[in-house]
Amino acid sequence: MDLQFLEIIPQTGPMLWGALNTIYVGLLACGVGLVIGTGLLFLRNSRFRLLRILVGIYGSFIRGTPALVQILVLYYALAPLIGLNIGPFTAGILAIGFNSGAYVAEILRGGLSRIPPGQWEAAKALGLPNHKIWFKVILPQVFYSVIPLLVGEFTMVIKLTPLLSTITLVELTRSSQMLYNETFRPVEVLIIAAIIYFIICFSISQYGERLQRRSLKYRL
Amino acid sequence: MTFDYMAIWDNRDILIDGVLTTLLVSTIAIPIGIIIGTVICMMRISENRMLRWSSIVYIEFLRNIPFLILIFLVFYALPFYGLRLSGLTTGFICLSIYGGAYFAEIFRGGIQSVSKGQFDASKALGLKYGFYMRRVIFPQLYKYIIPPGTNIALTMIKESSLLSMITVAELTYAAHDVNGRTFTPVETFATIALLYWLISTLFLKLTHLLQVKFDAEDTQDGLTVR
Repeated sequence: MDLQFLEIIPQTGPMLWGALNTIYVGLLACGVGLVIGTGLLFLRNSRFRLLRILVGIYGSFIRGTPALVQILVLYYALAPLIGLNIGPFTAGILAIGFNSGAYVAEILRGGLSRIPPGQWEAAKALGLPNHKIWFKVILPQVFYSVIPLLVGEFTMVIKLTPLLSTITLVELTRSSQMLYNETFRPVEVLIIAAIIYFIICFSISQYGERLQRRSLKYRL
Repeated sequence: MTFDYMAIWDNRDILIDGVLTTLLVSTIAIPIGIIIGTVICMMRISENRMLRWSSIVYIEFLRNIPFLILIFLVFYALPFYGLRLSGLTTGFICLSIYGGAYFAEIFRGGIQSVSKGQFDASKALGLKYGFYMRRVIFPQLYKYIIPPGTNIALTMIKESSLLSMITVAELTYAAHDVNGRTFTPVETFATIALLYWLISTLFLKLTHLLQVKFDAEDTQDGLTVR
C-alpha cells in the first residue's frame, strides 16, 4: 500500500488542536502531581507512624497497578462511589496527577536525602520555626536540585495522556482516531501522531538532559 | 451503595483467564525484550557508526512515543502490508520491541558503570571482544542492571494492560467484559486493580530474592569492583 501523506496532511487541523490539548492536560496533571508529591513528602516525614504507612501503601498501589486501570477506577468506580459527578477532563487530570504524584514524591525524597544535615542544624541554630525551615530553607534547595528529574517526569505524564482517550477526552490520540475513522487512513494518521508525540517528548527530554548536565557541572 | 461480590465470583473464570493471559504476555515479552535490549545495547556501544546511529534512532523513537500509539500503529499498519496478525501476536511484538529500547538504555548505563580499568585490563591481556564482554564485563553488570531492569519489567507488565485496546483478552479486557455483563464497574475495576497490585507485589518479591542471591555471590567472590 502506498502511503498518501499529501491527502492527509491538509486534514490534520484537529490533530494539532488535540496536540495542544495533550500539552495542556499534561501541564495541569503535572501541577496536580507536584502538589500531591509535595504533600506525600510531608506525610512521609510526619511523626505519626500511621500516616507514613499510608503513604507507603499509596506509593505501592500507584506503582503496582497500570495507569490505565487507575484511570478506569477513578472514572468509573471511585467518582460514582463517593457521589462525585466529574467529567472525563477533571477525572483524567486527577487520575494522571495522582499517578504522577507518587513518582514526584520519590524524586523529592531523593532530593531531600541529598540535603546536607548542616542545613537543618544551621536553620535550627538560627531559631527558625519548623514551617520556615521547610519552606524557606529545605524545600527550595530540594526543588532546585531535582528540576531535571521533574522535567523527565513531565515526559512520562505526556506519555500517559493517550490513556485518557479511553475515557473520551479529546486529546491527540482521540483526535487521530476520529480522523482515521473518517478518512480510513489509519497508518498515515498514526505515523503523524507518533511524530507529533515524538517531537513533544523528545524536545522536553533533551531539555531535561541539558539541565542535568549543567547541574552536574556546577555541583561542587 | 452495596458491594456486589457475587458479580465478581460468578465471572471468576473470565478474570482468571485474564490474569493468565496477562502473565503469559509478560513472561514471553520480557525475555524477548531483554534479548532485543542486549542486541541494541551492543549496537549502541559499537564502534561502527552505522550500527550506532540506527540503534540511537530505535531507542529514542520508542522511548519518546506512547505505547498506545505504537500498538495502534503496528496493529493497523501490518494488515495493509498483507500481514494479518492476531491481537495477541501484535501484543507480543509491540511489548518486546518497546521494552527492548528501555532495556538497551539500562544495559548501556550498567556497562558505563563498570570501571574503565576492566576494559583496559581485558584488552591488555589480549582477550577477544566477545570473550571479555561475556566473561568479564557481563558478570559485573548484574548489580547495576537488576534494580532498574526490575522497574522496566514491571512497567512492561503494567503496559500489557493497554493490549486490551487491540482485543487481547488480558485482565483489563476481562474487566470490561465482566462490567459489560453485570454492569458493576465499582466491583470489577476495584478487583482488577487489586489483582494487578498482587501480581506486581509478587513480582517485586521474586526479583528481590534474585537481587539478594546475586549480592551474596558478589561478596563471596570478593568481586566488589567500584
